[in-house]
Amino acid sequence: MSDAVYSILWLIPVLPLLAATLIAFLGPRLLKQHSHWPCILAIATSCVLSVMVYWHVQGAEGDAPASVASYYPWIQAGSGPYAVNIGINLRADALSSMMLVMITFIGTFIAIYSIGYMHGDPGYPRFFAAVSLFVFAMTLLVLGDNFLVLFVGWEGVGLCSYLLIGFWFSKPSAAAAARKAFLVTRIGDVGLMLGMLLLWMMYGTFNFWDVNDAEGNLLYSGIFNQVERQLQLGTLNQALILAAALLLFCGAAGKSAQFPLHVWLPDAMEGPTPVSALIHAATMVTAGVYLLARCTPLFLAAPDAQLIVACIGGFTALMAALTALTQNDLKRVLAYSTLSQLGYMFLALGCAIKFASDTNLVTFAVTAAMFHLFTHAFFKALLFLCAGSVMHAMGHVIDMRRFSGLRKVMPITHATFLCGALALAGFPLLSGFWSKDEILDACYQASQEGPYASVYFTLLVIAIFTAGLTAFYTFRAYFKTFWGEVKVPEEAFHHGHGHDDHGQGHSASHGGHHEPKTSHESPAVMTIPLLVLAVFAVGVGFVLGPLTHGFAHFLHKTPGWPHMTEEHHMNIPLMLMGTAVVFFGLGLSWLMYVKQPELPVRLAASAQGVYQLSLNKFFFDELYQGTIVTPAEQVAKLSAAVDSGGVDAVVDAVGLAPSKLGELFRPIQNGLVQFYALAMVLGLTVFLLSLIYKL
Amino acid sequence: MSPDLQNALTDFIPQVVPEIVLGVSACVLFLGATFRVSRHVWGVFALVALTLASFALIATIRSLPLFTEPPTTFDKSKWPLYAAPVLFTPLALFFKVVGLVTGFLLVLLSWDEGGEDHAGEYHGCLLLLVAGIGLVGAANDLLTLFLALELISLPTYLLLYLPRADERAQEAAMKYFLLSVFSSGLLLFGFSYLYGLTGTTNIPALLDMFASGQERLAPNPEASTQQPWVGVTLLALVMIVAGLGFRITSVPFHFYAPDVYQGTTTPAAALLAFVPKIVGFAALLRILGYVPGLSAFERPLGTAMGEQVPMLLWIMAAVTMTLGNILALLQDNIRRLIAYSSVAHAGYMLIGLAVVRYLANAPGESVGGVEALLFYLVAYGAMTLGFFAVLHYLDSPDRPLESVDDLAGLGKSHPSCGLLLTLFLLSLIGMPLTAGFVGKFLIFFDAMGLSSQNAEQARLYRILALIAALNAAVGGWYYLRMIGVMYLREAIDPLPRPRPAPVVATIAVCATLTLGLGLFPQSLLQLIRDALPRPNAQLVARAADEGQAVARE
Repeated sequence: MSDAVYSILWLIPVLPLLAATLIAFLGPRLLKQHSHWPCILAIATSCVLSVMVYWHVQGAEGDAPASVASYYPWIQAGSGPYAVNIGINLRADALSSMMLVMITFIGTFIAIYSIGYMHGDPGYPRFFAAVSLFVFAMTLLVLGDNFLVLFVGWEGVGLCSYLLIGFWFSKPSAAAAARKAFLVTRIGDVGLMLGMLLLWMMYGTFNFWDVNDAEGNLLYSGIFNQVERQLQLGTLNQALILAAALLLFCGAAGKSAQFPLHVWLPDAMEGPTPVSALIHAATMVTAGVYLLARCTPLFLAAPDAQLIVACIGGFTALMAALTALTQNDLKRVLAYSTLSQLGYMFLALGCAIKFASDTNLVTFAVTAAMFHLFTHAFFKALLFLCAGSVMHAMGHVIDMRRFSGLRKVMPITHATFLCGALALAGFPLLSGFWSKDEILDACYQASQEGPYASVYFTLLVIAIFTAGLTAFYTFRAYFKTFWGEVKVPEEAFHHGHGHDDHGQGHSASHGGHHEPKTSHESPAVMTIPLLVLAVFAVGVGFVLGPLTHGFAHFLHKTPGWPHMTEEHHMNIPLMLMGTAVVFFGLGLSWLMYVKQPELPVRLAASAQGVYQLSLNKFFFDELYQGTIVTPAEQVAKLSAAVDSGGVDAVVDAVGLAPSKLGELFRPIQNGLVQFYALAMVLGLTVFLLSLIYKL
Repeated sequence: MSPDLQNALTDFIPQVVPEIVLGVSACVLFLGATFRVSRHVWGVFALVALTLASFALIATIRSLPLFTEPPTTFDKSKWPLYAAPVLFTPLALFFKVVGLVTGFLLVLLSWDEGGEDHAGEYHGCLLLLVAGIGLVGAANDLLTLFLALELISLPTYLLLYLPRADERAQEAAMKYFLLSVFSSGLLLFGFSYLYGLTGTTNIPALLDMFASGQERLAPNPEASTQQPWVGVTLLALVMIVAGLGFRITSVPFHFYAPDVYQGTTTPAAALLAFVPKIVGFAALLRILGYVPGLSAFERPLGTAMGEQVPMLLWIMAAVTMTLGNILALLQDNIRRLIAYSSVAHAGYMLIGLAVVRYLANAPGESVGGVEALLFYLVAYGAMTLGFFAVLHYLDSPDRPLESVDDLAGLGKSHPSCGLLLTLFLLSLIGMPLTAGFVGKFLIFFDAMGLSSQNAEQARLYRILALIAALNAAVGGWYYLRMIGVMYLREAIDPLPRPRPAPVVATIAVCATLTLGLGLFPQSLLQLIRDALPRPNAQLVARAADEGQAVARE
């Protein structure tokens, strides 16, 4: 088995890569409207393989750390202090195998859904090629056993995100959003890269863990092992470790859209909706959370960094939830809710602190973050796909003011959206409820002791308040879309599921399965993934959550996470409090958007300032435009002037030097063979004399 | 005649079966070409001969033991084998394989070269070249080594002369001939001194004798340089380095390269850029005793004289790469430009040779410099042959491809050729993900990573790494200029569309190697590492002790 698992580990990323290559080369000419087959087959096979790896790790004895690893030495060079030893090392432990299963499982269903959603788009092959490439990069990211492989995956998902946000590149807003996403995450990537280099300087390796060969000799030494050793010996350089942790967090904040690098995610909704579901809700944006969970041993050594992570997470959760209250674009509401939920996850990660010798909270908090990541992936993917289904039916209109009462028009979409919304709101017993409760609990425990207890207590209050806001804005979107009188925008009748608004559409109708002049439910290829994901969104928390501890027990096998000495018990009062807040938010939205629909307008008018602040996303875009983008452009112009005026002259002069030097030597090459022989003899003589009379 | 001696004279024959196959095939070609004129018949024949030689090599590997142990064991039955003129070592196997692959590539590259009536002789000469490469790699005796080197030189003269009989080609062939004979003379002169000092031409015995002689005559390394025989040895070594320096186009023995490359045809220039470099470095490694473990010598000959020979190589490396690069900046003729670039690359490779002594001192480390050098050699072969192959593919008699300006607009008119040329040029620059990058990376790292036992030496080699890095930057200019011309300028008179030709196979193989070695360098590196014996543990330990002793003083 173990040998088979090694090759399986390779296949998981390689299959989607092959599919991507295949579609890229054959898609436009040969596969055309069948381009989805390689993609779906590859991702589904990867999913099966991931489950096999999962079982292999799950089957390991007891609570001991378990993993499957595969090493390929990529380059070995130099010796002594400059030795370089880099491998393409893959390792699946509990954390990464759970991520793998999640990515490939959700990926498979989103790919199936895309068959219906992208049907007839001229870029059909390109879409599936990019999705396959994305799954390759993402699985590589979580499988990497050193920072370098992780970084390759990290940049790979960034590239795919760019390609897919700008999928309809002829639309200016899509192109601008793609560029913005790429540039903003790039700021974070620079931090990640600096963090990696700092760790390299400190430990001389990119590997996470020690690697031994069959005889038990050390092949590579790992960063985390060295940190743990130094922590025991007390020789850890606190300042440098803090800097490294914060730089890594900077990378995570960029990728996971945390304040202040959050501005790209809402704009990223310009991409096709399956992309929003897969990349910008379920998988890629959680890479930052994964990175921090992966680096738990490092962050354990830097408690100050944890505080900053928690504060940023809490702030993002609150700010994004407030923004989501007033957005009119269904996808944007969901995007801000993603921001907010990611903030929750970082908040939980930040609670992973160590009290004296008690490390129970560390593992508990990181598990809570990962659990929320896991449940969030299902219900948020579901919600986005439902939004996509609505968009598909409404002729790509996504403004909630333009449609309403769709529960009669689209019954399946309505039912599944409700499942997702309840899960997101944290309705009792649904998946979001369990994971959110664990985060609140982690926060509560962190506020019990330590020098920063009061800070964590404030964060707990914010988190509970945000839970209420979440329920409110989720159901605001739900009621506005699916309740009230039936209202369908004009575009829905013109082209059933055309893409004309992207400027590259096809007016010819495809398939006569819908009557013109009526709006309709989406085709089965889209609704079946919705139903599957709905089942998981409802049930996954119940099955794996605190009731059974299934998720926690499995995840605790991750190497490097402190062993939990006592079983965690549910915090019933906190749970009740959270539930009360959720019900309050739910009730309020029902009151405002079903019972008395005129109430929101009155409220908005009476609190104009606050309303505008929220509607305009706290003016972050304008703030950045004014303080960063415009000055940066000015500086760029100035630099350009200085460069073309001053620097170029110097550079030209420097560049001229070698060729002037060359001119000096040119006459020697005079084409006379006797002279060449003479030069050889002269050279020989010089060598001889210098050697004999010592240099 | 004693049976031992008899064995020594005959036992080696199975080891050179591939070379015998090639030699016989070459004779058939020379004879047959007088009866039948056809480039296709003789081209196919040459490919068949190379395939046969490959099979013969595989059979040799299966049936003969590789010599990996030094002959210090008291197993007397092995001694005659070590006294043989050739020795089938893992490194020899490496050079034989490189030679055969190069042979295939060159036959395909020059399929359409020159007049139809000379095709047979042309391919015969190529086969002899390949045989020569194998023999140089395996040579265990100064005489074999010299003969093998001449087995490469003589066909090269013909290859320069055969395909084109115009005045410029004749001038180029003549220049190469005269200077090559001159350099062979220097080499032989050096060899004769070595023979005079030791009374033997067997390389392991010779190296052994110098090592033990130094022990006996001068236990104190400082005093040893005062001994009269040391001076003579140095004289011999400088002669040898000069003679072989001609083949690797190292300054100041490089003068022929630009004139000859420019004067001759593209396939011949490709051959001149690569084949003499392989054998030159192979011979240097062997004679300087830089491949450890293969003989009982205590210290490599090149280092028995203290720091002087590595220092000589240091200077040669620095001067060679600098001069090659700055003169390449001024060139407009592509072949002339590549000639200077090949000088520059020889400089980079010399770094690998110059650092060997110090790297072998680190216990547990691999041989360092040598493996970097061998990797660079293969990478250089792939990218240079590939570059010349594309040039040859585009070249036609009515529209010759001579100057850099002729490449204008190639990116548009011949997109795939432009892309391939760009790939080879990027590799020559040393861009990541290409073989050229890994080669430079390994070499630079070896120069940077000298153990700190000897701080002064380490600093010196770091300076060398710095010079190399500056040179790589200067080199980037003239390679990028070609890419710029291809993509940014419009062609006034676009090149015609070339016909499909066997040279395409050469291009494909070279491109695959250039990219493949860039992406997965470890595959070749591991092969090279396996081909190189590890440094003798005792030797390493003693060198470390000495290093510490020096440091204490």
